[in-house]
Amino acid sequence: MISVKDVKRVYQTGETEVNALRGVSLDIEQGEFMSIAGPSGSGKTTLLNLIGCIDKMDGGEISIKGEAVSKMKKKEKTNFRRKNLGFIFQTYNLIPVLTAYENVAFVLSLLNLPETEIKERTMAILKEVGLEGMENRRPGKLSGGQQQRVAIARALVKNPEIVLADEPTANLDSDTGKEILELMKQMNKKHKTTFIFSTHDKMVMNYANRLVILHDGQIQSDSGRK
Amino acid sequence: MKFLISLAFKNLTRYKRRTLITAGAIAIGLMMYIFVDSMLMGAEIESVRNLKWFETASARILNNDYWKNRFQRPLDINISEPDKIIDKLNKNGIKATKRTVFSGDMILNSQDFGEDGNMAVVVTAIDTEKDNDVFHFGDTLLEGRFLKPNEDAALLGSWFAEDIGAKVGYWITIVTRGNGGFYEAMDLEIVGIVNCPNPNVNRALLMMPIDTANEYLAMDGASTEINIKLPDSADVESEVHKIQSMLNGDGLTVMSWKAMAVDYLAMAEGKRGGTGIIMFLIFLIAAVGISNTMLMAIFERIRELGMMRSLGMSDKKIRIAFMIEAAGIGLIGSVMGVILGILADIFIVYVGIDYSFLLRDMDIGYRIQAIFRGVWNPGTMVAAFFAGIFISTLVAYFPTKRALRMDIPSCLRHQ
Repeated sequence: MISVKDVKRVYQTGETEVNALRGVSLDIEQGEFMSIAGPSGSGKTTLLNLIGCIDKMDGGEISIKGEAVSKMKKKEKTNFRRKNLGFIFQTYNLIPVLTAYENVAFVLSLLNLPETEIKERTMAILKEVGLEGMENRRPGKLSGGQQQRVAIARALVKNPEIVLADEPTANLDSDTGKEILELMKQMNKKHKTTFIFSTHDKMVMNYANRLVILHDGQIQSDSGRK
Repeated sequence: MKFLISLAFKNLTRYKRRTLITAGAIAIGLMMYIFVDSMLMGAEIESVRNLKWFETASARILNNDYWKNRFQRPLDINISEPDKIIDKLNKNGIKATKRTVFSGDMILNSQDFGEDGNMAVVVTAIDTEKDNDVFHFGDTLLEGRFLKPNEDAALLGSWFAEDIGAKVGYWITIVTRGNGGFYEAMDLEIVGIVNCPNPNVNRALLMMPIDTANEYLAMDGASTEINIKLPDSADVESEVHKIQSMLNGDGLTVMSWKAMAVDYLAMAEGKRGGTGIIMFLIFLIAAVGISNTMLMAIFERIRELGMMRSLGMSDKKIRIAFMIEAAGIGLIGSVMGVILGILADIFIVYVGIDYSFLLRDMDIGYRIQAIFRGVWNPGTMVAAFFAGIFISTLVAYFPTKRALRMDIPSCLRHQ
């Protein structure tokens, strides 16, 4: 479903070049619950960003569902993300002036769906992530775990085939982190959504069905490599 | 779009104080615009009215050669049979009155004025019975009475009277040269003092009956000008053209008040231009304020912007969202500005600003003696309202564009 071939990414910091990814290749199947792990600076976030079509690569190729996303233009990438990808961020990144309901419905409004369908789907997903009755609360009135649940609902509400999560539990205590991971796994099973998340937490890695470890921009080990 | 509008307006409440300060800056700018526009328009309307009522009339008939020699005030370049022309005009429903304007020396004697002295003056001899059909001096009498026919009497402007220490009942002597060049002296009793709202007139006005002047100056029924009153709604230039056709072949020319008040019109135009520059600066300050507010609002929300772009919101929609937000600030500012403008207009229209301390001794061009009053101008209020919204929206475009130049990962990393 996702094919990453010899992907390179170089960042320029002042006069020095930093090789964030040095020829990473991997294939990801639909429905995988996969973790990209590694120490800080190993290239986890860069790889997620490239798969998520929000960064540009300096070499190699990525294709998702047979489409070469690395060759897409900016507008095409935006459209592709809107339809196919869900994102979960470490700091939740909810819009503070919107309620939990509005934060989730926002994604569907980008797809120009009818109001009734937006309402139906948003209420259903909020119920699924355990936020029934909290629809009208703004992020400031929700705990960190609840905010991340809203973020998960936001990522899943459009039924994307892939959800990318950059250190989704890093800002949560371990119990809440486990709850969030359980929820993500449950969604993965129920919706057959592919989850790819980055972490450097061993407990989080243990939840993954497949573990890819990056070191200095290269794959050190891949539990799913055939 | 509904979502974008809702998001933009909710974001306005995020930094209430900042929104209000920026909207306040817009409001003050718009209020100033509405206020100054009202005052200037009021000043122009009143000036034009005071020009026509006390200085130029709507139009004037002169001998063809008079205008170019007007500063010498020649008596021999005149209208020989003004009464015939006035009859003709009256038959056509046009009100007119003759006047003879001449220059002379006014001698003040110590018996009335405390000390002897003399000064150059311009005397306007008026048809005491018809002058008020065209001009409005009869309404401005401050002391004494208006002039009567055939009397040796004078009427003075109040500032002029104040400057020379004249009072009703005092006598003055005018020494001048009559039609043909002979010297003539006339003793005139001051019978009235008028408070003319046109400061240029009030500062130097000296009037006497035209029949008395004609006799002293040997005008033989002639006068130097005929002044015409036209309805306010009339197209002055076309009326002037019609009257000119009526006089064809008489060696006379008809001038509209606009042609006679070229200096005033140029000054008013200049002041409008100057005010335009001030208004531009006020709007520029407001625009910089809005731009700065939007810049802060955008850069504080860079991560949010990164999230929205990641989720597939197009740059165009993000730009629209921020521009709607700016339009919202503009809307609040415009509503506040128009309300403040109306309050300021209530003051300037019904109370006005008393500039008599300035205008008493200084000619600023406007024909207003003391109080500058504004007029209601709904057109300006509507224009100001939309300008506030438009400028706010426009200036938000640039900081948004700048923020959208950042790549998404940088936005998401932004602290």
